[in-house]
Amino acid sequence: MPDNLLVLSGLSKTFSDGTVAVDAVDLSIAKGTVTVIIGPSGSGKSTLLRMINLIEPPTAGHVVFDGIDLLQKDVDANALRRRIGMVFQLFNLFPHLSVLANLTIGPMTVLKKSKEEAEEAARAMLVKVGLANKADNYPAQLSGGQKQRIAIARALCMDPEVMLFDEPTSALDPEMIGEVLSVMKKLAADGMTMVVVTHEMDFARVFADTIIVMDGGKIIEAGTPEVIFGHPTNPRTKEFLHRVIDKE
Amino acid sequence: MDFSFLLNGRYVGILLGGLFLTLVLAIIAVGSGTVLALVPAFLRLSKNRLFRLVGTAYVEVIRGTPLLVQVLIIYSFFRMPVTVVLGIDLSSFIPGMLALFINSSAYVAEVIRGGILSVDRGQSEAAASLGMGKGLAMRKIILPQAVKNILPALGNEFVTLIKETSIFMYLGIAELMYAATIVRTSTYAVKESYIVAAILYFCLTFPTSKLMGLLERKMKKADAR
Repeated sequence: MPDNLLVLSGLSKTFSDGTVAVDAVDLSIAKGTVTVIIGPSGSGKSTLLRMINLIEPPTAGHVVFDGIDLLQKDVDANALRRRIGMVFQLFNLFPHLSVLANLTIGPMTVLKKSKEEAEEAARAMLVKVGLANKADNYPAQLSGGQKQRIAIARALCMDPEVMLFDEPTSALDPEMIGEVLSVMKKLAADGMTMVVVTHEMDFARVFADTIIVMDGGKIIEAGTPEVIFGHPTNPRTKEFLHRVIDKE
Repeated sequence: MDFSFLLNGRYVGILLGGLFLTLVLAIIAVGSGTVLALVPAFLRLSKNRLFRLVGTAYVEVIRGTPLLVQVLIIYSFFRMPVTVVLGIDLSSFIPGMLALFINSSAYVAEVIRGGILSVDRGQSEAAASLGMGKGLAMRKIILPQAVKNILPALGNEFVTLIKETSIFMYLGIAELMYAATIVRTSTYAVKESYIVAAILYFCLTFPTSKLMGLLERKMKKADAR
């Protein structure tokens, strides 16, 4: 398919102790779609996500982004990373910088935007995530939900073509999950290409175009939410869904 | 005990001069040592095995041998004519200083390395996810956070160096210990001169470590902003 923004093939990660975290995964992600990766903990879903922008260097396989193989030796990984946004489970905001500076440091140092231009864009982004009044605060003064919304805004300020979410709500208190999900839902509605690792089954059900189920480092099942939640074929998918949905 | 030499302006002048020189020596050593320390610190943090090996060897050899031995080795290699500038004989001052700041650099290198490693991995991951290169991330994200951990430890190193400058006595540099020896030989007040020297050292080190503690607390507070 020509509109595949991301194509992973044979992507594997073997840790130095011999553990295989991700085992030869093939996956294509079309522009403008939301792909949600679910699966039991330790199934390799975070590792897979982190390999897409090479934060976790793959040990085998290919990541082709917009037709460019990121693992080719002469490819500048940083030049491509700026086109791929990432949101982390533990936010990873820069604690020594104000909220505004967190949002502008990437555009200013990497995209070489002027301070005025970067700050204007950052303030507009803060409005979008509903935190316009927090520009001059420091990360330590924010709640978890606010931190994660700032982290999303920080990634969006780079004007990325795809957004990766690594369990963005797992470290949040239950009452803060909603505010982060609503920002993500807006983003999905705007047509952003998203790859999301999450335990939020309701988000997956409503917003995913494709759900990927991982177990033991492999994709064991993939399909639309109707198929995965309605008629899963793999018994391990059934078992996993049974457990998480019971918990809810 | 007879501390009456403390009423003699000449001896007091000698001691205070020694105290001042001790402070200057420690400041120069910790300052230049910190700059030099960046080299072994980053060598040890490198991905390149050979670089890591060189950095580790430097740190281990220097930390594993006495400062006095290092000073004497460097001094014996340096043969320069007696050149007196501002009352300091450079022929012993320069090699002595060289030894002290090389020694200091090995300890400070470990402080810097520890400070950098103490910054959460997520920080460099977040920087990388924004497309920042390693150098850029180090300068803008990692080092500003590492400094908080480095500064207090650097203060302790400074306190250590104030004490270690006493080794310059062997090179005939008129630092505090040398000054105390001059007072001792001219007054025969052996115990008293050394006790006064000890008190003067303490007057330098105690406020310094108190100051560092204060700085550390202030930084912690700033962190919780």
